[in-house]
Amino acid sequence: MIGLDYQRLGNFRYAVVTLVGDDGFPFSVSTDFKILADKKIVLQKPALPSKLDGKRVNVLFNHITGLPGGGYGDRRYMLVWGTTHEDHGTLRFEPETVSEWDEKILPFDQYCAKSAPQGAKYLGRLQASVEA
Amino acid sequence: MIQVPPWVRETFDTYLVCEFTTVKSGKPVTLPLLPFYLPDSGKFVVTSSVLFSKKAENVKQNPKVSLLFSNPEGSKAGKHAVLVQGIGHADDSDLDHGWEKYLSYWRKKEPYIDAYLAEREKFGWFWKRIVVQVEPKKILAWKNGDTSRPPEVFGV
Repeated sequence: MIGLDYQRLGNFRYAVVTLVGDDGFPFSVSTDFKILADKKIVLQKPALPSKLDGKRVNVLFNHITGLPGGGYGDRRYMLVWGTTHEDHGTLRFEPETVSEWDEKILPFDQYCAKSAPQGAKYLGRLQASVEA
Repeated sequence: MIQVPPWVRETFDTYLVCEFTTVKSGKPVTLPLLPFYLPDSGKFVVTSSVLFSKKAENVKQNPKVSLLFSNPEGSKAGKHAVLVQGIGHADDSDLDHGWEKYLSYWRKKEPYIDAYLAEREKFGWFWKRIVVQVEPKKILAWKNGDTSRPPEVFGV
C-alpha cells in the first residue's frame, strides 16, 4: 500500500464501506473503525446481506464541518480500495490504493486547475459525439 | 414513487452531503456529493462539473448507482443512515444551464453559492455541469444509524 497517511486517516470519525452486490447495485453502509498500532485497519462489522470475507470493497472516509450560516467547509476525504477479511466479529481491511482530496492541502481553485485535463477530455468526447 | 417515513424524508431534505457510488468495470467508486431530493417525483439529483466528470462517465456505462445519507453534520436532523439504490441518467445536453433549475435546492444547502456564481467566469469549467438524475428502486434505512441491525426496506 503506497501513499496512505494513517495519521490523517485516524482523524476521520467513521467509514463508509461499499461493495457491488449480486444484483449489480452498489451497496454502502456506514460503520466505525479503528487503526491498530501495527497500522491494521479494523472496521466494525455491519449487518449485510452478503459475507464480506475476501470481498473487494472501497472504504470512504469523509469529513465536512457545518458552518453557522449554513453550508459546510473543511472538506476532505480519502477513498481507499482494498479487501475485507472477517476476523473475530470484526472486519480487517487491507488497503491497496487510495484517492483523496483535502482542501487544506490542495485549495479548491488549485484542485479545479489540476482537474482541467479531465474537463478537456469530457468536452472533447462530447464534441466528437455531437459531430458524429 | 417510493413512500418513506418522515425521518427518512427529513434525512433526504437536510443532509448536506451523500456518499454517491457509481460502478466502473465492476468496481465501486464512492465520492461525497451534494444531493437534491425532488419531492414531486421522489427522484434525486446530483450535479457534476466536467472537471470531475468520471462519475458521469461511469453512469453512462453502468446506470446502477447508490446514494448513502450517513452524515448529519451541518443539518439539524438526527443521525441516521439511509441508502438509496437506483438507476442514474446523466444529462449533458445543456452543460451551461441545465443544472440551473436546481439552484433553489443548492442555495438551501450552500447559501454562499451565489458568491461563487458571481465569479462564474473565474471558475468557467466548474460551472459546466452534468445533471445526474436518479430514480430510486430500493431504499434501506437504519434509524439512529445503527448498521449492526438489519435496515428497514422500502420499495420492494
